Amino acid sequence: MNVEIVELDDRKAKFVLSGVTHAFANSLRRGMLAEIPTLAIDYVNIYDNTSVLFDEQLALRLGLIPLKTDLDLYVLPSECGCDGEGCPQCQVSLTLSVEGPKIAYSTELVSADPSVASAEAVPIVKLAEGQRISLEAIARLGTGHDHAKWQAGIACGYKNVPRITVSEECDACGMCVDACPRDVLVIADETVEVIDERACSLCRLCESVCELDWIKVETYPDSVIFTAESDGSVPITELIIRSVDNIKERATALDEYLGIIDA
Amino acid sequence: MGYRCVNCKQPVEIDYEYRGVRCPYCGHRILVKERPVHIKRVPAE
Repeated sequence: MNVEIVELDDRKAKFVLSGVTHAFANSLRRGMLAEIPTLAIDYVNIYDNTSVLFDEQLALRLGLIPLKTDLDLYVLPSECGCDGEGCPQCQVSLTLSVEGPKIAYSTELVSADPSVASAEAVPIVKLAEGQRISLEAIARLGTGHDHAKWQAGIACGYKNVPRITVSEECDACGMCVDACPRDVLVIADETVEVIDERACSLCRLCESVCELDWIKVETYPDSVIFTAESDGSVPITELIIRSVDNIKERATALDEYLGIIDA
Repeated sequence: MGYRCVNCKQPVEIDYEYRGVRCPYCGHRILVKERPVHIKRVPAE
């Protein structure tokens, strides 16, 4: 397997995976979406809410706020020694006390653990004069399997790596260049040249306009272009590494089960 | 159940035997329910 990083920052990654099956790429994608735990607000104790939002709406909005998570500090409630009743190892409390007129932002949530904070300033509700909110939110680890609020990976996906070949007989009529919606093709020195093969969306419009079949769009069978984005709760590199570790763990567990069946 | 008049902000008890809902202090007819004092636990989903 070979990995070529195309684009990488704290929240987004784009890389080319070569020498892998599509099944492996898909399991990596699914792992990032549903298997990696993150912190999210699980329930809210509301002391006062005179805003225009109902308590339930307010709680839902709070639940969807991405919280920066250090996965080494917390454990899933199901794996905690407290049996999920709630202890400092499996949950963290955040409080919000705001009064209008103002817009309440997620950055105003005061956490009991300074390492847990909102990943970015998300507006919660606009408060008018005299309206106030006072609440305590309890955040717990969970996975995307249980609820989308615990989904750290967003917009994770992959596509085939395009391979565009132009015949030497091509007369550079320019019809394929005009048809391409992503400007992948150009005419240079009276021939059609491919300038950015990976930008091709595999729409095959160039193939369909070329009546003489001088241009062909194919894909590499064992390579994919992978794009992944994090909601900010976990850095994208950690998300990818943990997803790979998760595949490894599940494969090992399956191997053990099969060993038991064989024996 | 306690109510509060939105006009004069006075706490009002509704007399259900009386045919209309009206603030006994100012006569205003819009009353809002007062939030109960207990803490409300709401699941964030």
